[in-house]
Amino acid sequence: MEYRDYYKTLGVSREATIDEIKKAYRRLARKYHPDVSKEPDAEARMREVNEAYAVLSDAEKRAAYDQLGRGHRPGEAFRPPPGWDAGFEFAGPGFSGAEAADFSDFFAELFGRMGGARGGGFRMRGEDHHAKILLDVEDAYAGAVRQIALRVPKIDSQGRVALETRTLNVKVPKGIHAGQIIRLAGQGAPGTGQAKAGDLLLEVQFRSHARYRVDGRDLHAALPVAPWEAALGGVVPVDVPDGRLQVRIPAGAQSGRVLRVRGRGIPGEPPGDLLLEIRVVLPEATTPQAKALYETMARELAFDPRRTS
Amino acid sequence: MRDEDILTGRVLEGRCLTLEELCAVCAFEPDWLVGRIEEGLFPAPEGPRAEWRFSALSLSRARRMHALERDFEAVPELAALVADMLEEMDDLHARLRRAGLE
Repeated sequence: MEYRDYYKTLGVSREATIDEIKKAYRRLARKYHPDVSKEPDAEARMREVNEAYAVLSDAEKRAAYDQLGRGHRPGEAFRPPPGWDAGFEFAGPGFSGAEAADFSDFFAELFGRMGGARGGGFRMRGEDHHAKILLDVEDAYAGAVRQIALRVPKIDSQGRVALETRTLNVKVPKGIHAGQIIRLAGQGAPGTGQAKAGDLLLEVQFRSHARYRVDGRDLHAALPVAPWEAALGGVVPVDVPDGRLQVRIPAGAQSGRVLRVRGRGIPGEPPGDLLLEIRVVLPEATTPQAKALYETMARELAFDPRRTS
Repeated sequence: MRDEDILTGRVLEGRCLTLEELCAVCAFEPDWLVGRIEEGLFPAPEGPRAEWRFSALSLSRARRMHALERDFEAVPELAALVADMLEEMDDLHARLRRAGLE
């Protein structure tokens, strides 16, 4: 287990007042806010900042942490001395158990002791847990089995919590789309006594794809076409995640026009649509023959693209 | 991988979570969310409380508002305003992506 310097994480001195700690935390919470931060490792940094704040904003936890002594360097191998926390009672979470599960092993080792209301005749259904599952567009068309890793707190016989990585293989049904939730019964926190475990709810999200964009059940893609295909119309092949389609281009199609192919989006009842945005791509005029063709068009066609009618 | 190692879940769609489920997943007390609904800061589900159902979108709004109130000690009205703006931003990003500009 590595030692964590919470004061350094928040950028405050060991003598900082609670107001200074709050101020430093808010400044960093803004900097690494997941919705706006441009920092590449914002999410990981926010977790560290939350962890540091969970300790330093709580008088009991801070006093206990300070008692561990100075002179430890961040990242150095560390084991707390036995009985270091005697006389402290940690309560009043601020951060929930589910959020604290994202914290480091260092935090879990120091502050992971649970309340004493376990065992005996006490029965309570386990908490539902929540995680995200990141899928590829292809998974929605064909279905898939995806592996997800979760960090879950495990309670030992002394009531201490250690973080454990649990790997689950989850069947993703064909037709899955964003905004849905997959509920895995009994895969949340264990129940107390004889009570049932909670459920695990997986929020479905899609990875960005070089060619496709998913919008609900609809699939969007760009469709590059040659100028003569756009002008004269025709049938062109289009690759989609589950194969290849032949799509008719109407004569006179312009760049930006969207063709809707009904029922060829993400499968389901009803299936989504495939939306193809036409992009007219010009051949380069790099050969004498291509130049001659463009010159003929310029000469023969009375065409002014800037004319407003 | 053996078949018995693969977990099959139930797919929930639309407004599928009860108040208790949503709050359990977000790890906050139902009273917190009921208060925000009563004050008009969180879109009110239809019907009596026992029949309230929430979508995956409500899940992310509830989490955002809760984190804003906690992290910045924001008053609930301010947290709701920021959540409104973040949703607007999500919508604009989605439109940019659809237009191939992002």
